[in-house]
Amino acid sequence: MDRLMRWIGIGIVIFIAAPLVIVVPMSFSTAASLQFPPPGFSFGYYVQYFNDPTWLRPTFNSLFIGAMTTILTMALVVPATFALVRHKFWGKGVANLMMMMPMAVPHIVMAVGYYSYFGSLRLVHSHLGVVLAHTCLSVPITFLVLSANLKGFDRTLERAARSLGATPRQTFWYITLPILRPGLMISALFAFIQSFDETVVAIFISGRDAETLPRRMFDSIRQEADPVIAVISTLLFLAVFLGLIAPHVLRMVRRSLVRVPLPKPKKMAAQHREAA
Amino acid sequence: MKPYLQLSGVNKAFGDFVALDDINLDVEKGEFVTFLGPSGSGKTTTLMIIAGFEDATHGAITIEGQSLAGLAPQERNIGIVFQNYALFPHKTAEENVFFPLQMRGVKKAEGLRKAAEMLELVGLEGFAHRYPKELSGGQQQRVALARALVFEPDLLLLDEPLGALDKNLREAMQIEIKRIQKRLGVTTIFVTHDQTEAMSMSDRIVVFSDGTIEQAAPPLDVYHKPTTRFVADFIGESNLLDATIRSADEGLADCPILGQVAYRTEGQPRLHDGQEVALLIRPEHLKLSRKPLEECRHASMTVETIVNYGDNALVIGRKDTAQIRVRVPGADVVTLEEGDECHVNWTDHAVFVLEH
Amino acid sequence: MAVTVSNLAGRKNLWPWLLLAPLALYLALFFLVPLGQVAMMSVTEPRVGLDNYEKVLTGTLYRRVFINTFFTAALVTVCCLLVGYPLAYLMNHTTERRAMAILLLITMSFWTSFLVRTYAWMVLLGNNGPVIWLLATIGFADPPGILFTRFSSTLAMVHILAPYMIMNIYSVMKKIDPALIRSAESMGAYGTSLFRHVYLPLTAPGIANGSVLVFVICLGFYVTPVLLGSPTEQMAAGLIGHQIEQFLAFGLGSAMAIVLLIVTLIVLWIYSRRFGLDRLYG
Repeated sequence: MDRLMRWIGIGIVIFIAAPLVIVVPMSFSTAASLQFPPPGFSFGYYVQYFNDPTWLRPTFNSLFIGAMTTILTMALVVPATFALVRHKFWGKGVANLMMMMPMAVPHIVMAVGYYSYFGSLRLVHSHLGVVLAHTCLSVPITFLVLSANLKGFDRTLERAARSLGATPRQTFWYITLPILRPGLMISALFAFIQSFDETVVAIFISGRDAETLPRRMFDSIRQEADPVIAVISTLLFLAVFLGLIAPHVLRMVRRSLVRVPLPKPKKMAAQHREAA
Repeated sequence: MKPYLQLSGVNKAFGDFVALDDINLDVEKGEFVTFLGPSGSGKTTTLMIIAGFEDATHGAITIEGQSLAGLAPQERNIGIVFQNYALFPHKTAEENVFFPLQMRGVKKAEGLRKAAEMLELVGLEGFAHRYPKELSGGQQQRVALARALVFEPDLLLLDEPLGALDKNLREAMQIEIKRIQKRLGVTTIFVTHDQTEAMSMSDRIVVFSDGTIEQAAPPLDVYHKPTTRFVADFIGESNLLDATIRSADEGLADCPILGQVAYRTEGQPRLHDGQEVALLIRPEHLKLSRKPLEECRHASMTVETIVNYGDNALVIGRKDTAQIRVRVPGADVVTLEEGDECHVNWTDHAVFVLEH
Repeated sequence: MAVTVSNLAGRKNLWPWLLLAPLALYLALFFLVPLGQVAMMSVTEPRVGLDNYEKVLTGTLYRRVFINTFFTAALVTVCCLLVGYPLAYLMNHTTERRAMAILLLITMSFWTSFLVRTYAWMVLLGNNGPVIWLLATIGFADPPGILFTRFSSTLAMVHILAPYMIMNIYSVMKKIDPALIRSAESMGAYGTSLFRHVYLPLTAPGIANGSVLVFVICLGFYVTPVLLGSPTEQMAAGLIGHQIEQFLAFGLGSAMAIVLLIVTLIVLWIYSRRFGLDRLYG
């Protein structure tokens, strides 16, 4: 029984890992199209990617649109989250539901809507159009991450700051915001990734001018299955990998850095004796 | 002379629920006052109203004759140590202590020097650059104290600051807080539900119950001369026995359990003959013996339960319908067994009378 | 002098609305309006009326696509469960190190874009790909093409959505108090009865969460079925895109989009009545 479970486990792990691993050797292939095993090793497709404006432009478009989406999303969601987590008011339930709704609507439905709506606003094929659409789609996940962080925030800290002489505004800037910073960064990261990976809406509205990387990849896969995609996939995969292990590595580095030996609490011990 | 801090007629209602009912209290400058009471008795609410985090429904609070009405918490110049210290996790010990000075526009060099002095006073020199999570509970406590004192507040409020510490550390901190408070002479209000803490630290104890002040008196008075049955019951262990006054002039009462009893008369309310009262006898004021002791009043009882604490023991005996609790030295209990008949002895001085 | 309640209360009630207003306005303009436009188009393009809905609900092609979508989503959900449950169980019963390694792998898969993972399956299942190569090496002389079939798109969707299932079940399983299992064992439960009476009910919330999430995402899935699936067995999202891009049939595409949306919302609504919606993505 145990042995059987073990093999099932190994099988599932291979199933999950194989597609993540397979693109890496393919990106270094010399073959003109997808072929396994790769006939030879080269950096040919990497060189091609970094020299081809039809790939680089969508990459920059995606980075730009992702950054703009992140800024806009945060500007809208941060105050709203404070309102929803910290205040009780009439209509709160509806507001909460409204913020989660974009997550429940299939992207293809929104894509049809944006295609026609932005068509009438002359926002199709523009960076602004994609940013506006992506911001809407980023709201729920950003809100979820942020509200979880805000709910965990100990409000006694704000009372403490007030008792120590800080005005509400000073309390917000010196205490609340710095303590929430990690949560803010993570929710901003979620907004960015949501935009950077978003494919369906971008296919419909980004057009030639604001073409995003996922749209370019989608078109390329549909038409010719250009092996350059293996390069991009490898790079994106690497980015995720680094992003995930970065915190662990940073922690290890910090730990191994020279640590000043901490002073022994002599006086404390003395007082203990005094008490006893 | 006007008192330093004055609470007059403070009321607080949350909807229909009355959390505080007509609180009146005067505190002298430099006094260490403890608010003692079970949870929900209104002691923390009172503290929060003084600090400015809650508004009183009615009533006034003044410090040196100046009303606190309309002042935001940051304008009150009151230092607070919160239950879980509320140290800013993104600031080092030094930065935490510097914060109130920073808010008061003190220059960095001077502020840091003051912060360092304060950390030294609480015994934390050498820990200035550690973050709260790198400090032990007791050390965090000290930082919180330093932070609440560094700006020379008019009043120091301590909201159950020792609750999270283990027993030994708590005793050490009690002594430490008292030492620092005396040295700086800051008027202090300490909230706790732990009566030993209240006893050992306070100049005066204010006992809260159900949103009212039951008694405000020095610790030993609260223990030996409680004014209400609640205080007698809440503080320390007690034997409370029903009785009727036989003669108020002579200080004699009839007790169905103990027979005729003489009681202490100091500071009692006016009693009249035939009045129903309760007699308070602390368990440590009773003595057990096989034969009645001379020069003592005594009654016989049956030992029901013996609870050993090592250095002493609690003997619970029964006489008729009543339980009688007796504290005996650990050595004396060895010869005693459950079910034994014995005598319980007391002197007149041990009996205190309470209005029903 | 009396400390009375200040008239702060009035301002306090306005404050959350001020904080919420920009986002509310934004969502009204860029979420509700476009969504409304889809609903509008579905009953006005090309003529005012319910023609589009009649076509979508009665036309054999459209009906087949919706039924196909529904069954594919159900199949993917079941497969995700079959993959996810054993793995989550193993992660809870192996060494800390291995569990962390598997968790890292799943998180990595989760964070890798749908498109990259879809592409990876094309590479794996391609005619010159490793799977065909492996089959050929072990003796299948002329293996059939598996790319662009219902099988390949289903397989890829299971892979793409499995992390949602695994994470949901794993987090619930991890919270089960081991003492509970031990006490069940001490009372004589073991093997299948232990599983059925103790493990399964305790992990049910995770299963429900994961299943609804996978099912709902799968209903609206566009990228993977379009790129990997059989052109003759489209799913709803693909057909909607097709109507808009190829035939500029906005009315018909919108009507299908609305039907898809309603089905999705019904599933979520049923779920939220039992569990509450905010738990789903939390």
